Amino acid sequence: MSAYIARRLMSAFLVLMAVITLVFILMTQIGDPAAATLGNRANEDTVREFNARYGLDRPLGAQFLGYLGVIACQRPSSPVYDDDPATNGYCGLLQGDFGESFLHNAPVADVILRRLPRTLLLGALALLFELAIGLGFGVFAALRRNRWQDTSIMSTAYLGQSLPSYVTGPIFLSYAAFLFGLFPVGGYGSTPLEHLQHAVLPAFTLAILGASTYARVTRSEMLDALQSDYVRTAKAKGLGRSRVLSHALRNALLPVVTLAGLSLRLLVGGAIITEQIYGWPGMGKLAVESIVNVDAPTVMGVVFFVALAVQLGNLLADLAVAALDPRVRLAG
Amino acid sequence: MDPRAWTRFRKNKGAFLGLALVALATLSAVAGPSLAPHDPNEQFRDTLIDGRGLPKGPLAVPDHLLGADTLGRDELSRLLHGGAVTMLVAFLATALAVSLGTLIGVTSGFFRGALDATFMRLVDLLLSLPFLLLAIAIKRVVADPGLEVLVLILALLSWTTLARVVRAKTLQVRELEYVLAARALGMSNARILLRHVLPNVAGPIIVLGTTLVAQLILFESALSFLGLGVEPPNASWGSMLREGSELIDSAPRLLLYPAAFIVMTVFGFNLLGEGLRDAFDPKE
Repeated sequence: MSAYIARRLMSAFLVLMAVITLVFILMTQIGDPAAATLGNRANEDTVREFNARYGLDRPLGAQFLGYLGVIACQRPSSPVYDDDPATNGYCGLLQGDFGESFLHNAPVADVILRRLPRTLLLGALALLFELAIGLGFGVFAALRRNRWQDTSIMSTAYLGQSLPSYVTGPIFLSYAAFLFGLFPVGGYGSTPLEHLQHAVLPAFTLAILGASTYARVTRSEMLDALQSDYVRTAKAKGLGRSRVLSHALRNALLPVVTLAGLSLRLLVGGAIITEQIYGWPGMGKLAVESIVNVDAPTVMGVVFFVALAVQLGNLLADLAVAALDPRVRLAG
Repeated sequence: MDPRAWTRFRKNKGAFLGLALVALATLSAVAGPSLAPHDPNEQFRDTLIDGRGLPKGPLAVPDHLLGADTLGRDELSRLLHGGAVTMLVAFLATALAVSLGTLIGVTSGFFRGALDATFMRLVDLLLSLPFLLLAIAIKRVVADPGLEVLVLILALLSWTTLARVVRAKTLQVRELEYVLAARALGMSNARILLRHVLPNVAGPIIVLGTTLVAQLILFESALSFLGLGVEPPNASWGSMLREGSELIDSAPRLLLYPAAFIVMTVFGFNLLGEGLRDAFDPKE
C-alpha cells in the first residue's frame, strides 16, 4: 500500500516537473512581461529596473533554475528578496516559493491563496449540486426503469450533457437573476452569506454537465447492481427494501467516486468560462488575466496547482475505490 | 467489426434521432454558405438598424428572414456561414486527433517497451493540463488568426483519451490466439496490425470519434466565446454567441439562435455516439 502510494507520488512529481517546464517555455514565448506590465511607452530605465527586479535580465536557463530553487533566484541587488538570510538567496519551488507576480506586485502564493477559497466555494457548491441532482435522479430512474420517469430523466440528462456553460450562463444571468431578482447579478459580494448567494447561479451553471453525467452513470451502475446475485441473496434473506437498496447503492457508487476525483481539476482550476460570465473573481479568471498580461509566475503557479489537484484527485479516487471495494488490491 | 452491430443500431430510436440531427447539421454546413441569401459580413446599417440603434428582428424586413445582428448583418447568412466554419474546424480537428490517437495507441499497445512508456507519460502530462488555458496560451503565442492553427491546437489537445482506449484494446488483441497464429505463419508486424489489430479496435475509435466531434464543437465555441477562436468579422457559432450575449436583455434571440444550433448539433453527435456504443458493445 505505502509502496503503491510512493510510486504514484513519484510519477505525479515527474508529471508536475514536465508541466512546469512546458508552461515556462510557453510563457517565455507569449510576450514581453515588461511591455505588458509597464505599457509600451515606458522608458528604457524603467524597463531595465523592472527586468532586474524580477531577474528577467538573466539567461532563460538561469531564470528557470532560479524558479525551481536550484540556484539563487535573484541577483544580490534585487529589492524583492533583498538577500534575506532565511532564504539564503534561494526562493524557488524547492523552498516552497512561487515567485512574485508582475501584475499584482505580490507573492504568487498570496495571490493564489486569496482566490483559492472563492474557487473552492464555487467548486464545492457545484459538486454538491452535481451529486445531489445526479445521484438522486440516477437512482430514481433506475428504480423506474423504462417507465416514463426514466425516459424523461435520461433524455434531460442527454440534453444536459450538450448544454455548454456559455449558453446556460448568460440565459440564467439574464432571466433568473435579472427578471426574478432571485439571485444577485454577477460579482462576489462582501459577507460570507453574500458569497454563498452569489455562488448559487454560477455553481448551478457548472453543475449541469456533471449532474447529467452522474445521473447517467448512477442509473446504469444501479441497474447492474440491482440485477446482481448479492441483491437477489439479500432479498431472499428477507432484508427490507431500504437495506437492499443501500447494498446496491454502495456498489453502484464506485464509478461515481472515480468521476468525482477526476472533477477535482475543475474544482481547483476554476471554471474559466463560468467565472468569466459571472464575474466571479476565482482562479479561472486569474489565470486568463495573467496570460493576457504575460504574468508568467502567476500562470505557472495556477497551472501547478491545477496539475497537482489532478494528480491528487486521481490518487484519492483510486484509494477511495480500494477502501470501498475490498476486491480491489492496489499493486505496489 | 461486429456484423450484429447494425441490427442493434437500427432498433435504437435515440441513435436515429442523433443520426438525423448530425445529417442535418452536416448538410447545413456543406450547403449552407451557398444557400445564404446575403454576404455574412455585409452591414445593412440603413435598413436593418432601427432608430434606437437596435437590430431589427425576424421578418421585420422581407428578404432578411431572421433579422439582423448587432452590426446590421443578415443573421441567417451568418448562422449558415458560421455553422460551416464551426463544423469544418471540428471535423478536421477530429480527423487529425483520431489519426494521431489511433497511431500512438496501436503502436504503444502493440510494441510496448520504452515507446509505450514515453507515449503514456505524454498522455498523463497532457491530461494534467487545463486544456482551455493551454489553448489560450498557444493561441497568443502563435498569434495567427488562421483556421488551421485552431484545428491544430484542438487536435493536439484531444487525441489522448482515444490513444489510451485504443492502447488498452490493442493490449487485449495482441494476446489473442489468432495473432499468435498469424505470427507463426510468418506474417509481418505491419500486416498483423492492419489485418488483425485495426479491425478489432475500429469499434471504440468510431464511438470516441463521434463524441469527439461534439466535444470539439463545444471547445471551438468556447474559444470563440472568449474571443480567441474565429477572428472577427468572420462568423462562427461561438463568436455569434459572444456577440449575442452582450445584447441579451434587448435582443435575446441573437444568443438563442446560435445556442440552439450548437446544442442541437452537439446533442446529435452525443446521441449518435451513445447509440454506436450500445451497438458495438451491448453489455455496457
